[in-house]
Amino acid sequence: MTALTWPVASGWRRGMSPTLMLGLALCAVLAVLVAAPLLTVALATVSEGRGLSVWQQVFAGRIAQNFLWSPLANTMVIGVLVALGTIAVGGFLAWLVVLTDVPFRRTIGVLATLPYMIPSFAAAFAWGVIFRNERVGGQVGVLAELGIAVPDWLAWGMTPTLLVLIAHYYSLAFLLIAAALASVNADLIEAGTMTGARPSRILIGITLPVVIPAILSAGSLAFAGAVSNFAAPAILGLPVGMHTLSTRLYGAISTGQVERGYVLAIVLIAVAALVLWASNRVMAGRRSFATISGKGGRKRRFTLGPWRWPLLAVAALILALTTLMPLLALLVSSLTLRTGDIFSGYTLHFWIGGSDPAYAQGQAGILRNPETLRAIGMTLAFAASVAVVSMVLGLAIAYGITRLKRHAIGSLLNQLAFLPALVPGIAFGAAYIALFGAPIGPFPALYGTFALLVIAGAAYTLPFTVQSGRAAMEQVAGELEDSARMTGAGFPRRLLAIFLPLTARSLMAGGVLTFVKILRDLSLVVLLFTPATPVLSVLAYRYASEGFLQFGNAITALITVVALASTLLAQRLQGKAEPWLDEDRGETR
Amino acid sequence: MNIHIRERQEGTDMPQAQVPAIEISHLERAYGTFKAVSDVNITVPRGSFLVLVGPSGCGKSTMLRMLAGLETPTGGSITFEGREVASGLRGIIRGPADRDCGLVFQSYALWPHMTVAANVEWPLKVAKWSGVDRKARVAEVLKLMAIDHLAERYPNEISGGQQQRVAIARMIAPRPKILLFDEPLSNLDAKLRVEMRTELMRVHRATGATSVYVTHDQVEALTMATHVAVLKDGRVDQFGSPDELLHNPQTAFVATFIGTPPANLVPVTALDGSWFFAGVRLGPSQDAGSAQLMYRAERLGVTDHGAENAVRAEVVESVPLAGRTMVTALVGETRLTAVIDRMHRFAIGEPIGIRLPSEPDGVFDEKGIRRS
Repeated sequence: MTALTWPVASGWRRGMSPTLMLGLALCAVLAVLVAAPLLTVALATVSEGRGLSVWQQVFAGRIAQNFLWSPLANTMVIGVLVALGTIAVGGFLAWLVVLTDVPFRRTIGVLATLPYMIPSFAAAFAWGVIFRNERVGGQVGVLAELGIAVPDWLAWGMTPTLLVLIAHYYSLAFLLIAAALASVNADLIEAGTMTGARPSRILIGITLPVVIPAILSAGSLAFAGAVSNFAAPAILGLPVGMHTLSTRLYGAISTGQVERGYVLAIVLIAVAALVLWASNRVMAGRRSFATISGKGGRKRRFTLGPWRWPLLAVAALILALTTLMPLLALLVSSLTLRTGDIFSGYTLHFWIGGSDPAYAQGQAGILRNPETLRAIGMTLAFAASVAVVSMVLGLAIAYGITRLKRHAIGSLLNQLAFLPALVPGIAFGAAYIALFGAPIGPFPALYGTFALLVIAGAAYTLPFTVQSGRAAMEQVAGELEDSARMTGAGFPRRLLAIFLPLTARSLMAGGVLTFVKILRDLSLVVLLFTPATPVLSVLAYRYASEGFLQFGNAITALITVVALASTLLAQRLQGKAEPWLDEDRGETR
Repeated sequence: MNIHIRERQEGTDMPQAQVPAIEISHLERAYGTFKAVSDVNITVPRGSFLVLVGPSGCGKSTMLRMLAGLETPTGGSITFEGREVASGLRGIIRGPADRDCGLVFQSYALWPHMTVAANVEWPLKVAKWSGVDRKARVAEVLKLMAIDHLAERYPNEISGGQQQRVAIARMIAPRPKILLFDEPLSNLDAKLRVEMRTELMRVHRATGATSVYVTHDQVEALTMATHVAVLKDGRVDQFGSPDELLHNPQTAFVATFIGTPPANLVPVTALDGSWFFAGVRLGPSQDAGSAQLMYRAERLGVTDHGAENAVRAEVVESVPLAGRTMVTALVGETRLTAVIDRMHRFAIGEPIGIRLPSEPDGVFDEKGIRRS
């Protein structure tokens, strides 16, 4: 576990070792990028003689019920139910792919990872394309156009929000649970079989308890994701007055109630962070089921028998509804004259049409409109810059952490770099406004600049890129590195000849995935958006809220396609190590 | 036709003593065209300790998994106590749990989320033992394996040797009639291995069960077994008692695989009614052509390089061995190992002469089949 060992610091006793200097510099960077914005948010709620008055208003004032408590209740309901839903759906698919002989396991395994890469607003818009009813006026969805009365509870509010979020986050649960199931040695199962336990008993008595850590962490991640999600409640809940913390936060800041918004941001951070922290605590107990030593690692699959095809059908339905269906709905609706009316004529106007007063108040199609064209270029540049900056910074931090492992600076780096993982995107955006919204000393206000977007995006994606960087370093750790050192190769030589060639693909994959994360993000940028920095996701959201659904859907479809293509590219780059797909010997006779 | 006979056997009340504990006949397991196990025939009486030994990939683990009921044979049959449990024609007739057998895995397969006591108790729960009986039995086997003080620990909190004991305790708790072991000692260090060997034999005697033990270590086989089957390429090369294998190997492979040190095998050619090896006349030959002669290490003598009637050899290894010396030397590409009665440290590369007795301990043909 030495990971890339750099020249040792002992020769530098007199001064400060270069590693330590690098560590301190990185800490300073993280202090500005991560710690300072969060501190500023907290301070802003009490500064300028306000004392605790803002907190009092929010928690106990006249507005408290509508402003905090009822959104908080909605948020908690969403968090808990989405967590349970994703565990059920993701766990089912993981079980199917890893432990059974269901046909097309490989395909299911690949498809099940995709929904997380599709923007959650894509699924939310797609829901509207199909289920939207007359409740809020404007155009209606396919079902209503066909004359089917869609009840309000299905068209708006809690139910669709939950379904859309489960469809978005179950990929996380799938990945974590599948990996855990794959680590369950076949011997463990067979030892159960030897006792005469039925498959159901083995599942409940052995398999489930062993993967419970993975299930808990999948649940807590889905919870944290769902409570911080902005797109789904904003698109499906806001029009009928259902608020969550994130939509309230957005509303507060965009209507100038900045300090109250900051209080909500802190509450939101506390909710998400508490759950993640608690799940970590539970995991850290003595029953941290480290795999027991020993050889073997064969997989054994349950033969589903007559259930093979019915279960495949269920899986196929889930996957079709969560990957293909949203994209299809968006594409088709972007081609219709009226969004839900799929039978009375199609047009390419919303993609390539010129300005025509007959359509959308004379607005041109998204590929003809200079504003959207600029936004496309801007967004691609933004996502690419974030990917590069975040990967480089992430690698440097990963190096600092591994090298200064036993040093206080190392653990400080580690904690700072993982802080953004605990902070919901919209709260992170709010924190950036708090810090960079006004000039700091001689520096001008960065708010509204491209640079601020990139910095915020890079800081926000750091937990992921640092993790990729550490994984890459550990990949080359130990004997590979040592054998290169034994030949006498110096650090730069090892970096170029051993480290980079071996990790280039996984680093690139990490970069591409960061690119996708930014591309499909709405919550981080929705507060940082300005006309000077038009980001596609926010543009789509604005179009849709102004009733130009086809434009919104067209842009969202575009983002979705690029995101999916990039994700598949990243998976190719990684060579996608999927241990659970290892072909096993003839169990499936 | 076989089936009919077997089915009648199931019904008849044969005197228990005559029924073999395990009867394996014409057993086969094929994966596509590859036969991991083919035409294996082994029968052992109740209470015996059967060891399946062979190099890796010889099919011994597949054999054991078929005995356990985790793998389905593609041919032949397995009969426990007169009852057919699996066959190529009928597949698995009795599942793992209905065979009255227990298995210790090479990886131990302890359930990591259960304490030691819970690991041992779970099979009893599945078998629907009452709570009182379970408690008593768990305490009993933990005590038998001398791990009662670890009852509340989790598997990742105890050492490898202790994990091994838990795995054995878990297996014997439901009182199986047949104990199966899959290379159980291979993950332990040398000293612990010897200790556990004794322990396993004690468990075997204490339970009175029939044991089947898979290993690649011939020393384990010779020390523990009442019956040994040497497997090679999925077939039984020889089946018999340890003494039979040691004193009367039927194939060249068994001769060079069993014994410490294993016997020497010398490639010879017949000329004028005598065997010749490396230009030295060895003894009278009945046949013409070439053969392989077996000589036990203790019958080889070491003499000076160039001595008359001695093969010229070069020392590659020399080890003191309980007051004697074991020396290995190369003659061309043939390795010869001699055990001599005095302590002497040979230098590596030292030229010596090796004298072979005029009567070999066995003659094998070119294919390795015993001739005399």
